[in-house]
Amino acid sequence: MEATQTQLKSQLKEQIVKHLNLLSVKPEDIKDDEPLFGEGLGLDSIDSIELIVLLQREYGIDIKDPKEGRKVLVDINTMAAYIEQHRTK
Amino acid sequence: MMFIHDTVCISPQQSYLQETLFSGSNEIKSPVKNILYAIEPSYEMIPPGILRRMGRAVRLGIGAALPLTKKEGKPFDGIIIGTSMGGMEDCVKFLNQIIEYNEGTLTPTNFVQSTPNAIAGQLGLMTKNNHYNITHVHRGFSFENALLDVDMLLNDDKNRTYLVGAADEISSYNYNIERLAGGYKTEPLTGNNLFNSLSPGTIAGEGAAMFIINGDAPKAKAAIKAVHIFQTENEEELRKQIQHFMQAHIPQSASCLLLSGENADSRYQHYYHCCESLMGTSSSIARFKHLSGEYPTASSFAVWLAAEILDRQQLPAFCVKKQVNNAIESVLVYNNYKGIQHSLVLLQKA
Repeated sequence: MEATQTQLKSQLKEQIVKHLNLLSVKPEDIKDDEPLFGEGLGLDSIDSIELIVLLQREYGIDIKDPKEGRKVLVDINTMAAYIEQHRTK
Repeated sequence: MMFIHDTVCISPQQSYLQETLFSGSNEIKSPVKNILYAIEPSYEMIPPGILRRMGRAVRLGIGAALPLTKKEGKPFDGIIIGTSMGGMEDCVKFLNQIIEYNEGTLTPTNFVQSTPNAIAGQLGLMTKNNHYNITHVHRGFSFENALLDVDMLLNDDKNRTYLVGAADEISSYNYNIERLAGGYKTEPLTGNNLFNSLSPGTIAGEGAAMFIINGDAPKAKAAIKAVHIFQTENEEELRKQIQHFMQAHIPQSASCLLLSGENADSRYQHYYHCCESLMGTSSSIARFKHLSGEYPTASSFAVWLAAEILDRQQLPAFCVKKQVNNAIESVLVYNNYKGIQHSLVLLQKA
């Protein structure tokens, strides 16, 4: 179970770097509890839309409520936990 | 009369911040598989968070423009850009997403970056400039229309200063369409010998050239005296148009250098020969498409090169087709796009 979640987090980091074209960031450099927005990875509002689209395309998850999005898109830990619970593919 | 005060050019040659191309030690870059890709700088002035979203044309345009905005130190009275294709690569990515994801949720970045006005728009946002901001999109006349726009604005108020320029990229989409349409040579060129290959088609190119232009003569690098555009496939009409332009603007053709957009495409060589024949035997002739490749706004590279030649009074040997030892008082840039769009830009010493 733990191995699966570690695998999911690694995959998620790779997807984030690729989808957001984070030129100077290596997937392994992103910490699981590092904030995605503001300080930390420094993503912005356009990135949040890209991440919502990523969740839909890669995991079949639809986030329609912006409040829910804010709770999910905090760090790698929160995203991975949400994916595990809600993924349809 | 418009005066060019500063320039930056990103091209397939070492033209960025200008020193190397004119130093004499620079080796001219040759096309690979008949393509001349621009040499991109490190874009240190573009924040990484913005750079990662930029498509190639936007990077080229903004990368060339930002050093000029920094040098100017105050907001320009307008940002005027010419581009034929804009970010075509991103446009195609966006269209492919529509198909791939069955018109579902689409990401905004490719769409935002793909519009032709992304270059001028992002420049306005990045430099907090809310003045006149416009993009001219008219195939081979895009850059010339930007120049005509500035000319009209300076006629209203010559105390204004504008950022003017052009950018176009080689995208896989437009390259393949052009290739299938016979726009590029089928035999691979070895080395930089474009003009030895007189077959149909040319080589692909890309780049961005930006200019600070205003109505003040003092300290200018060069002046743009006249710009003329016209469409014709008739050589006699071309001859009349060029003759009329020369009679109106070039009284002494002996000291005028012709900077020809000749691109070794056998289908269109006669247009360039016609223009050369009108210059007279005592004019020097230079060419630039072996340096820039062919693209809709390649004339912006030519205007950059012409401004540098006039400012430095130096005609690089790698451009020369015919040299007559006269001082270069003016440069006539003649360019043709796709055998139908012709442009004449006359520059002279400031």
